[in-house]
Amino acid sequence: MTNQWKLKEIVLMSILGVVFGVIYLAFFLVGEGLRNVLAPFGLAPFGYEVIYGVWFIVSIMAAYILRKPGVAFTAELIAGVVEVLLGSAAGPGLLLSAAIQGAGAELVFALTGWKDYRLRILVLSGMSAAVVSFAWHLYSAGMIALAPWLIVSTLAVRIISAALISGVLGKWLSDQLAKTGVLRGYALGKELQRKRKYETA
Amino acid sequence: MTCMISSINPSIKMVAVLIPGILLGLTYDVFTPLLYLMFILVVTFTMTDIPITRWLKLFSPFLILASGFAWTTMLYANQTFSGGETLFSFWIFEVTAGSVQTGISVGLRSLCFGALSLMFILTTDSTKLMLSFMQQCKLSPKITYGILAGYRFLPIFQHELQIIRQAHRIRGVTREQGIKGRVNQFRRYAIPLLANGIRKAERVAIAMESKGFTGDPDRTHYRKMVARKRDWLFFVLMIGVLMTVFALSYHLGYLKIFGRQF
Repeated sequence: MTNQWKLKEIVLMSILGVVFGVIYLAFFLVGEGLRNVLAPFGLAPFGYEVIYGVWFIVSIMAAYILRKPGVAFTAELIAGVVEVLLGSAAGPGLLLSAAIQGAGAELVFALTGWKDYRLRILVLSGMSAAVVSFAWHLYSAGMIALAPWLIVSTLAVRIISAALISGVLGKWLSDQLAKTGVLRGYALGKELQRKRKYETA
Repeated sequence: MTCMISSINPSIKMVAVLIPGILLGLTYDVFTPLLYLMFILVVTFTMTDIPITRWLKLFSPFLILASGFAWTTMLYANQTFSGGETLFSFWIFEVTAGSVQTGISVGLRSLCFGALSLMFILTTDSTKLMLSFMQQCKLSPKITYGILAGYRFLPIFQHELQIIRQAHRIRGVTREQGIKGRVNQFRRYAIPLLANGIRKAERVAIAMESKGFTGDPDRTHYRKMVARKRDWLFFVLMIGVLMTVFALSYHLGYLKIFGRQF
């Protein structure tokens, strides 16, 4: 698998990991803030769920830009490694949750045979990452002990957040990047060039 | 003896920290995570030379997080986990002995995660961790050096953010108000930052390849990482004590796995 990847594609994943690794760390604070705001209404558990889609965005963006098997999984894992390298206090556990989220996102791309990268597939992939990561949290964060209505509603919020933030925002960011021309050497940029040629011809 | 943990092989250390983290997820009693947390603290303060004040500063966010988890679990525990008599109730919540116990257990468990990862993070060198991944876990050199190359760009990003900010200011772009303005502002920072990052990724990859980096796993290493006997001893210590804690907890009748008493 790794032999099909060019070095520049791996460094790209790593750079995305660095940029979003920092954003991920910052969003822990945002999540904690939201949690405190919602706490008086008895809605504290939703604090992180609202923004949860942020944590899957690297998977979606990398897969959409590079369009190769295994990219969604590896990119998220690399972002996790980078977070550990940056000295995030959440430590090695991050690798585990990154691998699980990445696997969730990869699943949908695998089902399309890594050929379909339309918006609906990206949104589905984000939602799949949400569901799979939620299953892991049921176990690791002890959420299974919570009331059923709370489990179902937090899952719903997480899925919506993943669809919007990682699916829609992830695609939008990648498209904006492609427009600047820096992605010319990667699958998404090449596709954009082909389209332009076709339109002018 | 001081700081012996920082000389443990990073890959083995990571697995030795991950396994307890995963297995503690099974427990829903107070005793098991509490005992293991005390063990982690003993290891942290006898086998590393992290100053207590620094450790406390880094650990305090985990205390807040853990009490948040504990509180949520206590209020919203479902029937399997909330047996026992009602201790107190307010508004729409009814807090029982069982839910208090589950809440405290979940809180202690996340403190264990926190203490374990702090022990790992504060004693592990980033580059050595990656080299060990490559040499012990057979991670491909292409990925290892790819990640390290990207990771080295972090300080440059901070510098670049400053440049973009100054460039905006000199052209008279002011902070925008309202949601639409915020979105615009986000785009004005995020896109150039990412675009520059991608350009650098491409350049650094070409530079590496032009100097003969092929990514071939069959290569020599300047810094050799090895797994010695004491690395495995540390592994056995971490997992062995976890098993002992589980056994002791079972023996004393405290052990609770998914709300079921054993």
